[in-house]
Amino acid sequence: MTVSAIEFSRLGPPKLRLYAMRCDACATLSPWWEHNHCYKCGGGSLHEEELSGGGELVNYTVVYYPPRDFLGQEPYVVGHIEMDEGVLMPAPIVGVAPEDVAVGTRVKATLRRMKLGHEGDIYYSQKFVVDAPDAPAAD
Amino acid sequence: MRVGVLGIGKTPHKIQHEKSLRDLVVEAGRKALDDAGVGPSDIQALYVGNVGSVGFNFENSTGLMSAHHLGVVPAAAVRVEAACGTGAWALHLGCVAILSGLYDTVMVLGAEKMNDLATVEGTSIIAQAADSKEEYFSGLTFPSGVALTARKYMQVYGLTEEDLAHTSVKNHHYGARNPYAHLRFECTVEEVMRSAKVADPLKLYEVCPMTDAGSALVLCREEILRAQPERPQVYVTATQMATGTWYAATDTLEDAHALLARPAQRAYAMAGIGPDDIDVAEIYNSFAIQEPLGVEALGFAPQGEGWKGAADGSTWIDGKVAVNLSGGLLCKGHPLGATGSTQAVDIVEQLRGIAPEGMQRPDAAIGISACRGGPGAVGAIHIYQRLEGEA
Repeated sequence: MTVSAIEFSRLGPPKLRLYAMRCDACATLSPWWEHNHCYKCGGGSLHEEELSGGGELVNYTVVYYPPRDFLGQEPYVVGHIEMDEGVLMPAPIVGVAPEDVAVGTRVKATLRRMKLGHEGDIYYSQKFVVDAPDAPAAD
Repeated sequence: MRVGVLGIGKTPHKIQHEKSLRDLVVEAGRKALDDAGVGPSDIQALYVGNVGSVGFNFENSTGLMSAHHLGVVPAAAVRVEAACGTGAWALHLGCVAILSGLYDTVMVLGAEKMNDLATVEGTSIIAQAADSKEEYFSGLTFPSGVALTARKYMQVYGLTEEDLAHTSVKNHHYGARNPYAHLRFECTVEEVMRSAKVADPLKLYEVCPMTDAGSALVLCREEILRAQPERPQVYVTATQMATGTWYAATDTLEDAHALLARPAQRAYAMAGIGPDDIDVAEIYNSFAIQEPLGVEALGFAPQGEGWKGAADGSTWIDGKVAVNLSGGLLCKGHPLGATGSTQAVDIVEQLRGIAPEGMQRPDAAIGISACRGGPGAVGAIHIYQRLEGEA
């Protein structure tokens, strides 16, 4: 999880935007990092596709022993979100106590501070909040 | 295939502040040389499994450093790395080297010195063995990545956390009897359930500790061991490796099964045996859930039922197949690069009949080791057989 400031300048945009990769051959939608190779059919041509930001929490864990960059956030929830477009995304779930998290919950993406780099830099990326009419605002 | 196991050696597996990485290398290597009855100059090639010396110890060329300190210079030497499958990969390369006919005698060694750093730093280094750049940017760690697999498995097959806890109870029963293990105490299902949460649903007793250790094997051509009938006639009879999914987010339970099932099927074919022939198995379980996954992949139980053996006794010492009589990684610890080589050493001890009291499966003649890592990216299978009196 450690990335240098220079590396983040390369990885930054994908971590700020919310998109997945569509295979030009078999149309499978893969997580954003599959820019070289479709893991389903092996096709080598994929294009970016924006995601709406909505999805369903299908799996989660609570991290009690974080890596250095996440120190101070523990315990925190990381989940697998099945996006409405049909692709799985790993991301932190925030604004809800670990004991209240449940598989099947509707969630939506929100741009948040993700972690502190060890060069003192701040990394932003997508976290998810519960998407319910009475849920707190996403900011 | 038959590759002779001429010698074995291992250090204690625990926190060893008084020893450096090179101390562990030398201790394990010399024990294996002494056991083999050969000297450093007899070793023609050295394969050193080490995952994280750059991060843990601020040194890099572990294979070359080991060659110097073991005194095998000018033999060929190289460091091997494949996440938690590292030690098994070193063993694979050692076997392939002998089978190629290029070398007569080689050493396979795994070593990791993990406890010079604080847990938070170690956790960060370990996370680099999976996708630390993209997927784990989300705050995942190795334990939490595997915890997601555990929850998925429990959801699909209808397990409770208590069901899974039996795996730790079994491992700790044997780990308490293993003088080389890091955690030497027995525990109950209730104690597993009460242990501290690490990554929900995994608890402390379902997670391996960070451990300092080394282990080594001296391998040789079959004829060399045959010519010494007074030595235990234990041979590696199959070695098979595979890769799997790099990203846990796209890793299905089927992928997690296939990671070890595919190389296991090839290994059984290579050795000409099947799951029913196995007496003892060492199955990678840095996290408890990985033991049932391995039990299923090796063909000892149908998918979704691999956890039952620890609860009903069928994977205990007198069960159908004895799994992790060493205490597994849950008790031995997981000295990353040494884990695969220690599994091999532990199986060879079983086949030689020299395992400690309370851990020795009577008349064990065929063993298997299964190592996984990445956590879904590398699978490794080795089969070992005692072949006394055969030409």
